[in-house]
Amino acid sequence: MRKLDQAGQQDLTSCTVDAHPPKRILIGKVGLDGHDRGAKFLIRALRDAGYEVIYTGIRRTPEQIVQTAIDEDVDVIGLSLLSGAHNQLFARVAELLKEEGVEDVVLLAGGTIPEKDVPYLEALGFRHVFTPGAPVSEILSALQQELSSRE
Amino acid sequence: MNELVNKLRQGNRRALARAMSSVGATGHAESSLEVCLRESTGQVPWWGFTGPPGVGKSTLLDALLVHLREHGRRVGVVAVDPTSTRSDGALLGDRVRMMRHAVDDGVFIRSLATHGHHGGLSDATLHCARLLELAGYDPVLIETVGVGQNEVEIRSVADLCVVVLGPGYGDDIQLVKAGLLEIADVVAVNKCDLPEAQRLVNEVRQEFAAAARDIEVVAIEAKSGNGVPELLQRLFELDRARRTETAEASRGRRRTLGEIRRRTEFSCRQALGRAMTGPEVEQWITKLNRGECSLATVISRLAALALAELQQEADDG
Repeated sequence: MRKLDQAGQQDLTSCTVDAHPPKRILIGKVGLDGHDRGAKFLIRALRDAGYEVIYTGIRRTPEQIVQTAIDEDVDVIGLSLLSGAHNQLFARVAELLKEEGVEDVVLLAGGTIPEKDVPYLEALGFRHVFTPGAPVSEILSALQQELSSRE
Repeated sequence: MNELVNKLRQGNRRALARAMSSVGATGHAESSLEVCLRESTGQVPWWGFTGPPGVGKSTLLDALLVHLREHGRRVGVVAVDPTSTRSDGALLGDRVRMMRHAVDDGVFIRSLATHGHHGGLSDATLHCARLLELAGYDPVLIETVGVGQNEVEIRSVADLCVVVLGPGYGDDIQLVKAGLLEIADVVAVNKCDLPEAQRLVNEVRQEFAAAARDIEVVAIEAKSGNGVPELLQRLFELDRARRTETAEASRGRRRTLGEIRRRTEFSCRQALGRAMTGPEVEQWITKLNRGECSLATVISRLAALALAELQQEADDG
């Protein structure tokens, strides 16, 4: 990540060669759900934390999400859903990823997800499920931990 | 290497996506893939799309993809968005406009960030476009970041340049200024459902007439698709004219020249940045402020330091 000097100017020494290019994260919204305030809040926070964020926009199919993740060669997929159809749609994304042989991508879930569904989503391979009120710092540190454990 | 190239030629999307992640890491010695790419491409013309932010470049690409697919073409897209100068992160949002093509086997879209590179493109752009060409995509479309008046680097990379403008660009004085219009092979004026657009079409036409340049100005409405088939016809004509043997030969030269220039500028800027933090700099500031040395002296000393460092890097690597 680039540092700023005291005057807030970009420090030229630190824009040296990237030994580690920024990690790439897909943030996607599946299904019939137009509530994207949370997703849009998160893509800003992720950008400011130094990630390259590929945002899919709203009302995407699991197929679109998975193909995009493959083409963009992302390290993480974060799915957001507030409609209640997470068990079906998130499961379909996990299933398609398995079919395509994609096993090294970190899966994250977020949205209005009842406590009782969390174990099911975790069993599908979602490493974290963030529910309403989850502070962004928690999301960022969980993400960092996941990624550093895979280095 | 041959195995990878074979996979790419067979249309293996994962191999292509992975290869794209591996190219264009600045400052490292070139990989054998990068060398191979330079050798084995140059047959396919690349179409560049540039213009101010929010003018509708991604939406236009989305509409063009529909028609290009109807013509049976397999299309590759490289879309560049800016890297944050504060965090090194980026929001790559061009895809949002093109999602309906995500599951089309005949379309491959890759989003790239500029990574501190100025001029509207990133270092990986060229390599990714070459990879798409090698994988059989034709044409290859390159969308620059939203540009201002002077980021005209796409000219050195693309074989034909579409400048996209929209209402709100400013009055005719803006058009007389050097910059974007100078690099255009075609101008697409988008959002032609808005009242100001026709005025812009007329002004751009007048500007080209005054400059005695025969550049077509096409009125389009990317969202509804109006005018897009006409634009595509013009692009096909220009594309055909660029598929001669002489054009092919000069293409390889031009791409490599552009590559040399960009990489050299990038490396020099970085080396200079590091030289700027050396202990001598404080002394030079003091001396300059007291009038004890000239700016030209300081420049030559800094340049020498940067050069020595670049030489060292080349010897090491």
